Amino acid sequence: MDSTGSLLVSGVWFLRNTIGVIIKPYATYRRIVDHGRLGELFYIGILLAGYFALASLVKEASFRPFLLTRQFVALSTTAAVSFFLASTTIWMVGTLVGGTGSWQRITLAWGYTMMPTVMWFLVTSLLYVLLPPPRTTGMLGVAFSIVYLIFSVTLFFWKIVLSYLTLRFGLRLDAKKIAVAAAIMVPLFVVYSIAMYRLGVFRVPFL
Amino acid sequence: MVDTTYKKFVRRWEEVMDLPPQTLGPFTKPYKKLTRRLKVMPWPWLVLVSIFIVVGLYVLVGSAITFLVTLLQRGF
Repeated sequence: MDSTGSLLVSGVWFLRNTIGVIIKPYATYRRIVDHGRLGELFYIGILLAGYFALASLVKEASFRPFLLTRQFVALSTTAAVSFFLASTTIWMVGTLVGGTGSWQRITLAWGYTMMPTVMWFLVTSLLYVLLPPPRTTGMLGVAFSIVYLIFSVTLFFWKIVLSYLTLRFGLRLDAKKIAVAAAIMVPLFVVYSIAMYRLGVFRVPFL
Repeated sequence: MVDTTYKKFVRRWEEVMDLPPQTLGPFTKPYKKLTRRLKVMPWPWLVLVSIFIVVGLYVLVGSAITFLVTLLQRGF
């Protein structure tokens, strides 16, 4: 199969797995780790690039090509570096606590955990335009806040489920070892998040 | 036909048994109960737990949750 064909097949797998992580995350993650193709990351990358293009427009609030391009490059580069740092950290820590699995498998599995992340950031960006902050303490403001927080917490839990499955299937760890790995990784991700905040790239960590 | 079905079954069996079942001592039963709900269509449970947490937070801090939302909305 040539590279175009291979990319098309990866695209079909990407669509199938994207629907799968929403409806049947457990079985889908097993499939991603066992039969996934690295080409699927290409489509995840396109999805993220689409979001960064939109976020650049919202953040800059002007149509100056130079500023927009600079913002887009800054967001994309930081997210790409963060993604590879995160997947490498997960692989290294997971291997350290006794996991077995390749870096490629972890990277692909971690790629699909970007779905809740990009969904949250996308909706937040759109809401920033439609209903700009600050929120009022009136009835409508509180009602919107409750709905928005329910949405955010639900996606956060989805992210936790997918991250757990990344470690479970990608590194074949049991729950106890996953807890140990999480105890090592969470402080590292907190440090990363603080660094991103200080640099002014992402106030909420894009992980 | 039977042969194909059997082969499919064996392949699926091997796939499922590839990872040893989880055991967490006294927590094994609650763990299995929880994960059973999250394996297929986890959304009703995820939303339900989120509603409990957010309503709990609202009861705890009142309309100050709007401050948290303002921060989050500026966080992208």
